[in-house]
Amino acid sequence: MRFIVCVKQVPDTTEVKIDPETNTLIREGVPSILNPFDQFALEEAIKIKQEGDEIIVISMGPPQAKKALLKCLALGADKAILLSDRIFAGADTWATSYTLTRCIKKIGDFNIIFCGLQAIDGDTAQVGPEIAAQLGIPQITYCESVEKLEGKKLTAKVQTDDGYKIVETRLPILITGITPSSFEPTNPPMMSIMKANKKPFSTWDANELGGSKDNYGLNGSLTEVIKVYSPPARQQGVVIDEETAETAVQKLIDLLSKDKVI
Amino acid sequence: MSIKFTEEQEMIRESVREFAQSKIAPIALQMEETKEIPRDVVKGMAELGLMTCTADEKYGGAGLDAVSAGVIAEELAKADCTGSTCVYYLVPASWGFLLNKYGTEEAKQEIFPKTVSGEWFLGIATTESDAGSDVGATKTTIKPDGDGFVVNGEKMYISGVREAVTHGGGHITIAHQTPERGTRGMTTFYLPLTAEGITPTYIDDLGREGISCGGFSIDNVKIPKHYILGEENKGFYILHEGYEYARALISVICASAGLKSLENGMNYIKERKSFGKPLAQYQEINFRLAEHYTKLNMLRDLGYKALKTIDLEQAGKVGRFETSNIVAQAKMFCSDWACEAINDVMQWQGAFGYSRECPDQAAWRAVRSFSLAEGTKEIMKMIVARELLGKKQY
Repeated sequence: MRFIVCVKQVPDTTEVKIDPETNTLIREGVPSILNPFDQFALEEAIKIKQEGDEIIVISMGPPQAKKALLKCLALGADKAILLSDRIFAGADTWATSYTLTRCIKKIGDFNIIFCGLQAIDGDTAQVGPEIAAQLGIPQITYCESVEKLEGKKLTAKVQTDDGYKIVETRLPILITGITPSSFEPTNPPMMSIMKANKKPFSTWDANELGGSKDNYGLNGSLTEVIKVYSPPARQQGVVIDEETAETAVQKLIDLLSKDKVI
Repeated sequence: MSIKFTEEQEMIRESVREFAQSKIAPIALQMEETKEIPRDVVKGMAELGLMTCTADEKYGGAGLDAVSAGVIAEELAKADCTGSTCVYYLVPASWGFLLNKYGTEEAKQEIFPKTVSGEWFLGIATTESDAGSDVGATKTTIKPDGDGFVVNGEKMYISGVREAVTHGGGHITIAHQTPERGTRGMTTFYLPLTAEGITPTYIDDLGREGISCGGFSIDNVKIPKHYILGEENKGFYILHEGYEYARALISVICASAGLKSLENGMNYIKERKSFGKPLAQYQEINFRLAEHYTKLNMLRDLGYKALKTIDLEQAGKVGRFETSNIVAQAKMFCSDWACEAINDVMQWQGAFGYSRECPDQAAWRAVRSFSLAEGTKEIMKMIVARELLGKKQY
C-alpha cells in the first residue's frame, strides 16, 4: 500500500504575533517546526504501515521546509517531496490544495492520504477536505485513530460532538486526524536521524507539477486576506466567590450599581 | 565564528531538547532526593539512542561523531540542573567511543547491545586512593592467567558503580601488566562489575546525586582475553583518547549549565526590584552578567572546537597532540567559569539562591565536580604548557 501524508512547517508558537503596521506574521526569532497535528497524522500512518507499504510525505513551502520533511523521514516516512517555487507564494487554502493535489496525481497510485486537522498558524482546517474534493475521493474528518485496515477496507474511530462513531470505508480515502489528548509525539531517535538524509528526497517546482500556472499561489487563490490583526486585550474580569448564592447575588448587584449599570 | 551545525545535528538538538525538557527538567531536583535517575528516564534516553551513542550502527548504536555527541550533552545540561543525566550520558558516550575504536569484535557484540538498550551501564574507572591524575601511580595489576587474565587492586571515586552492579555492565579500567616498564607496561580493559571478586563501596558525593559514586575492590577477578582494548601494555596511550572525548563533552556541558543558570538569573533580575528599581539596572549586576555571558560563549565555542578536532583526528586530518592541546584548553577553565557565573546567579537571588529549591545551587554543585572529573584543571595546564614548551624544556 502507499500512504501519502501532507505536512506543513509552521512557526513554533500558538501565540503568533502580528505586525500591526504590515498586518503580517512576525516570524523573526520564532523557530519553525513540523505542524504538531501533521506529526500525529504521520504517526497514524506509521502505526498501520506493514512490510512492503510505503509512506511518502509531501509539503508545500520554501526551501527551509526541508527541515520538517527530514523530521518526517527520521520518524519513519520512506520518501519526501518538497513543493517549492516562488509561484506558489501567497497561496490560500484552495491554491495550496490544488498544488498538493497536482503532486499526488504525479505520484500516481495511492491508498490513503493523511492530513493533520489543521495547521497551528492558519487554523483553517480546509486543505485536507479540499484535496479530497479535488481528487474526487471520499474523506473521513476528525479521525482519532485508524482502528483496522484489512485489504481495501478501513475502520476508523471518529470524534463527534457528543462522543465517537466507528466508520468503515473502502479505499482510497483521505483522512484528517484529530489529535487525542493522550497523544505523545515521538522524538526521532538518533539512529533514525542519521539515516534520514539518506532516504529519497525530491524538490518539485511548478514545471514538474504541470497544470495551469494561473491556479498556483496568489493567482490561483479564491480568497484574499484583507487584514490580519490581534484583537485588543480584554480587561481582567471580576470573580465573585461567596459562600451562598444570596450573598453572591447581592455582591453582583452592588458592583453593577456602583458602576451605574443598574 | 561559531561552529555551523549540520541538518542532522539540528534535528538531534530538537529531538533531545523536546525529550529533556519534558521528561528530565520536571524531575531534576527530585533525583537529588531519590539518589537515582528514574529507570523510565533511562529507558527514554536509550530509546532516543543516547546511551553509548558513539557505538557503530552494527552494534545498535547511532555511530555519532563527537560534535553530534556534544549537541546532546548541551541539551541535557540545559534541562538537568543536577547534572546527573549529563554524567549518565557522557561517560558511556566517551568510553563507548574508546570501546568502539579499540575493543575486540567479540566484546563489542557482547557489551554494546546491552548498553545501547540502557540495561547496562558502561563507565570509566581509573582513579585509586593514591592515583588520580597520576595514572602511572596505579597499583591495580592485570596478569595473564590461562586463556584470559586475572585482575587485583581497587578503584575509588568512580561514577555509576551502583548502576553497573545493580543493572549490569562494567567499567573501562587500566592496570599495570608489566610494572617495570611504567606507563609503557599498562593495559586498558573492560571490567564487568558483576564479576565474582568485585566488592563495591559507596561515597556520598556533593552533587550530581542522581548517579552513584563509589569504589570497588578487585580480588582475583578473571576476565577473558577479548575484554582487552587495543594492544597489551599500550593502554596508557589508548586511555587518553577516552579522556579527551569526555573532557571535550564536559566543557560543553559546563558552558551550557552556566548559560542556563544565567538565563534563570536574567529572568530574576528583570523582575526583582530593590530600592525602587529592577536588579538588572544595577551596573554591578549587569556588568557581571555581560562578563559571564561572554566567557561562557567563548567556552562553548572552544568546547565545540575541541569536539570538531576529535572528529578531524578520527578522519586522519589532525595529530594526537594537537587534539590533546585543544581539548585541554577547552577543559581548563570550564568548571571555574561556569561556577563563577552560577555563584553570581545564586547571589542575585538572595536567600532563595541558597535554598535547596533553587536549581542553580544544584547546578553549582554539579559543575564544581568537573574541575576534577576526567582530568583536573591542573593537568589541563600541564598538557597545554607541554605542547607549548616541548617535553624537553618542560
